[in-house]
Amino acid sequence: MKLQEGKIGETYRVKSVRTEDKLTRRLEALGVNEDTLVTIMNKKGSGTVIIKVRGTRLALGQKISDGIEIGGAENA
Amino acid sequence: MPERDKRPIRVGFVGNPNCGKTTLFNAFTGANLKVANWPGVTVERVEGEANYKGRPIKVIDLPGIYSLTSYTIEEIVTRKCIEENQVDVIINVVDASCLERNLYLTMQLLELRKPVILALNMMDIVEERGMEIDLHRLPEMLGEIPVVPVSARRRTGLDVLLHAVVHHYEEGPKGIVVRYDEEIEKKISQIEEILRMKYGEMENMRWHAIKLLEHDGEVEKDHPVDVSHIAEQSYEKRIINEKYDYIEEIVEECLFNKQEKAAATDRIDAYLTHPVWGIPIFLGIMALVFFLTFTVGDFLKGYFEVGLEYFSAGALTLLTNLNVSSWIISLVVDGIIAGVGGILTFLPNIFILFLALAFLEDSGYMARVAYVMNETMSMVGLSGKAFLPMILGFGCTVPAVMASRALPSDRDRRRTILVTPFMSCSARLPIYVLFAEIFFPEHALLIAYSLYLVGLLVAILVALIVHKTSKDTEGDTLLIELPEYKTPNARTVAIYVWDKVKDYLSKAGTVIFIASIVLWFVLNAGPAGFVGDVSDSFAAMIGRILVPVLRPAGLGSWQIGVALISGLSAKEVVVSSFAVLYGISNINSEAGMGALAGALSQMGFGAVNAYALMIFCLLYSPCMAAVATIHRETGSWKWTLRMVIFQLLVAWAGAVLVYQVGSRIF
Repeated sequence: MKLQEGKIGETYRVKSVRTEDKLTRRLEALGVNEDTLVTIMNKKGSGTVIIKVRGTRLALGQKISDGIEIGGAENA
Repeated sequence: MPERDKRPIRVGFVGNPNCGKTTLFNAFTGANLKVANWPGVTVERVEGEANYKGRPIKVIDLPGIYSLTSYTIEEIVTRKCIEENQVDVIINVVDASCLERNLYLTMQLLELRKPVILALNMMDIVEERGMEIDLHRLPEMLGEIPVVPVSARRRTGLDVLLHAVVHHYEEGPKGIVVRYDEEIEKKISQIEEILRMKYGEMENMRWHAIKLLEHDGEVEKDHPVDVSHIAEQSYEKRIINEKYDYIEEIVEECLFNKQEKAAATDRIDAYLTHPVWGIPIFLGIMALVFFLTFTVGDFLKGYFEVGLEYFSAGALTLLTNLNVSSWIISLVVDGIIAGVGGILTFLPNIFILFLALAFLEDSGYMARVAYVMNETMSMVGLSGKAFLPMILGFGCTVPAVMASRALPSDRDRRRTILVTPFMSCSARLPIYVLFAEIFFPEHALLIAYSLYLVGLLVAILVALIVHKTSKDTEGDTLLIELPEYKTPNARTVAIYVWDKVKDYLSKAGTVIFIASIVLWFVLNAGPAGFVGDVSDSFAAMIGRILVPVLRPAGLGSWQIGVALISGLSAKEVVVSSFAVLYGISNINSEAGMGALAGALSQMGFGAVNAYALMIFCLLYSPCMAAVATIHRETGSWKWTLRMVIFQLLVAWAGAVLVYQVGSRIF
């Protein structure tokens, strides 16, 4: 499922990141990648989400969160 | 000391954008800088000189990057510079308050096999957040490279850093830091072997091998070898993940107290970034900032104005007693003191505004604003953070434009700056008050209010048109890091505010100074030299040229033209210009208004003309203080000029529309 479909407070494993090249690179450098664990901290109906990844919080716009595919919830 | 190699050591400053790299760099070089472009590309190259105990050191500020891939010009420039041995030592500046992010670049730099020195910047913020970094364990985990805490702002740690440069220059590169899993390590050695056969021994063999495993375009081009059987696919993602895994280990071992701080931030964020409450809370905070800026600020401004009057009167007396010729007195008192002084009276507003902003910024809330307002603003193609400058625009365009500096990209900044002047600033209010009271005595408040609304609508419309017509369909690509909350630090806040105030003052001292003189000259000189009567001045000549242009807007008199030109110095000057041009002593009194109404109605200037005039004053290019600020923030005269022309056109079109439609209805 898409990142924005995850539940607040749950942790998921990223399956794939598919956005514009430039953004994917930027996310890569930020450590958001295949197999990374992300926790959804907050989200809005529009698809904007706040995630916690490797100890930092990132706010992601709808277009980015749309491109991040996640697996089922993990019990970290 | 024995006579040694006196060739300067070349030191490259490498780091993420916004890690304080340039501040640190400037602390080293003072003002002794050389700015040029990198050959072939338009990325700025800044070089400077420093020395340590007589040993010359050449420092090069490399562009801010997040990673050493080759996807952006900045990355390629930095990589080339290091690979082609243009630097001997790398100073890797890292923002210690976001160590994880910054260490990713460090991991890559270490693979380049050059002497790397880690400059830990922003340690003060780490301390403020109640965290600690183990300065003993950190270098151990980074392959024994020197780790030097520095403060770019306080200029501490600079000598230690230079000492480390000189000391480690002679030493060879350190050992391997990140070991990948067996499969990748095996592939790395296989590729290294192939490279060795073709190119002989290279210093950064391992780096080349890793880059080939990642299918890096630049390395494939420079060192074409067939490794398709080993790197049958790009291993980039796995390599990145393993680097990050190692960084996580480092952070876990070297950074203390992070958990508690993170938990507190999560609790606060549950409210401040709440899907429903986030926006009302933000609006409340904004209202408070606005209130403080324009009530407390205006209160202080009153004293400033009184002080300025005394100063101006004193200067007048002094110059008169010194028997200085009358035109010099007029230039100094009416031109320079009135112009520069008028700008200085905004200083209290600016000071309070930036004090409030510094608090929000330093506490960590500002980053959340972008998230909270993201949807609302992206409807018109603006970043969530653009809300703040736009609201501030109702107070004064100058701080509003300065506040746009917080926006993430150049594109966002320029769009915001383009629409901000349409928000009706407080200096335009006297114009509305005067004309609404003369021509719409029954509905003065409503008329004034309507102008604020029109300004807002034009701003939204312009943003929307720019958004819909621009080719880049970026979509909602918000990507921003939300730091942990902390108590604002007095020192950081003071520095932030002082920076802004200094900017503002230096502008008042230069651009405004010159503009005041030019404007004074235009208003007080004519073909016949220094003139006592405005109607003989250059301004009047220009005003007469403007008559046919302004006639379709119902503003066809040279006096109005002159008033509008003088309004460029500050919008409220339009009012005083009317007073001067029609020879009315106290324009805001009932008698004064009556006299002005009489003079204007003689030339057929009625309510519709008045509204057209107010629309024009609302929309036409902002005062020169704002224009100067816009130039400063965008760094482009061309863009600033285009914006001014655009706003003049919008104002003209708006006023013509009002007059042509209005005069047919009423």
